[in-house]
Amino acid sequence: MNTMNDERFFDLAMKVIAQQATDAERAELNSSLAEDPKLKVEFERLQAETKLAKEVVPLLAATESTAGEFPAYARGRLQTKVRETLGAHRTPLQDAEKKSAWRWQWILGLATATAVMLFLLIPVFTPSDKMIVQVAMLDTAGSTRGANANEITALQKLGTGSTVQSFSQSNELAVWENDWPRKEKQPIAKIIYDRAAGEVRVLGRWDGKPFQKTFLVERDLETTLREAETFILEQTGGGHRKN
Amino acid sequence: MNPPALKLLQQGDAAAWDEAFHWLWPTVFAVAQLKLQPFLPSDIEDVAMESLEELVEKVREIKTVEELKPLAASIAHHRAVSRLREQFAAKRGAGKTESLNALLGNEENPFDPASGDSTLAKLGQTELARLLGELQSEIKPEQRAIITDFFLHGLSYEQISAKHGVAIGTVGVYLKRGLEAMRRAGERHPKLLKELEAFLR
Repeated sequence: MNTMNDERFFDLAMKVIAQQATDAERAELNSSLAEDPKLKVEFERLQAETKLAKEVVPLLAATESTAGEFPAYARGRLQTKVRETLGAHRTPLQDAEKKSAWRWQWILGLATATAVMLFLLIPVFTPSDKMIVQVAMLDTAGSTRGANANEITALQKLGTGSTVQSFSQSNELAVWENDWPRKEKQPIAKIIYDRAAGEVRVLGRWDGKPFQKTFLVERDLETTLREAETFILEQTGGGHRKN
Repeated sequence: MNPPALKLLQQGDAAAWDEAFHWLWPTVFAVAQLKLQPFLPSDIEDVAMESLEELVEKVREIKTVEELKPLAASIAHHRAVSRLREQFAAKRGAGKTESLNALLGNEENPFDPASGDSTLAKLGQTELARLLGELQSEIKPEQRAIITDFFLHGLSYEQISAKHGVAIGTVGVYLKRGLEAMRRAGERHPKLLKELEAFLR
């Protein structure tokens, strides 16, 4: 870039590329390009880089966008994808299983006396324990647009005598969902009605084995809850008892 | 809003994903909108949602939470471009041959899926995500604002100087730094460099 000051060249190149140059500026640049082949190469490079910048910069802005609310209806579909792909909602159970596996490894690594202990423990962990059914509702819309009385009644029928836990924040629900009885063989079912997603989730374990399923509320909540109950009965071999 | 914990996401923690969906939705929506608004506005939400679904599949491949947004953006970009290509291929199949540029009435539109000349669409999903991550830290927001005003909004050096309260000389400096970042990106990403060189020929 001998014939023209770098800064002047760059500014003229930018104006020409952005179609903002006057005739005089365009002529000045053309003359310099004709005189110096290196400047011509540099100008072509700047054109290519500008083309890239015009694509990339709006994409960067979009990447960092914070405007727009995540639509509530999308949650059910996406959480289903999470469950199918990553095994979500089974996490607490998987954790319990992992812990159990560690315990087993530890136990199996010990002497024969431990094996005797294990033998003694087996009867304690039988599925003969009373089935626990816990029911919760996630209603992110809040009380003003909250569940109607029929929905509450339908949910209350599931856990006899127990209160239906109501959550407005999904993280609070997650804490509740992750709270499992310490006793690993304790039969339990958690039924969660996610009002915004329009789904009922069932998580549970029977005889130490986890089970789960999601039911979309297609017709009405009562019908879906019946499907959920049938599923629990299937999983527990009919041993599902309300407490 | 803070980014969710990557480990919890990789374990499939529902609450962490709830946070992630709220955090990432504006990104995937804005990227899909950028590409689809002129032609397929009704497909924007659908593409945004599909992009998050794909992100769930890929979450175990990433190493830091900072990679999430660029990856989500890259997925949304590729999905939106594919959607446009399908749409225009279908139109061609139906005997309708007008290009996107013709539809836009804008021959300067930098993106034309009908001719496939988008530089970024040639990059793989991971490579585009990496490029976005790098450029996020290399091109400062004020530089981006000036590049956008100059090349996309057509403002002059003088107008940009007045709008952003910077010296006219600074406008040129910011543009230069922005384009230098593009040059370095080209050097780091061979496919991108190839595309840029093809444009030079």
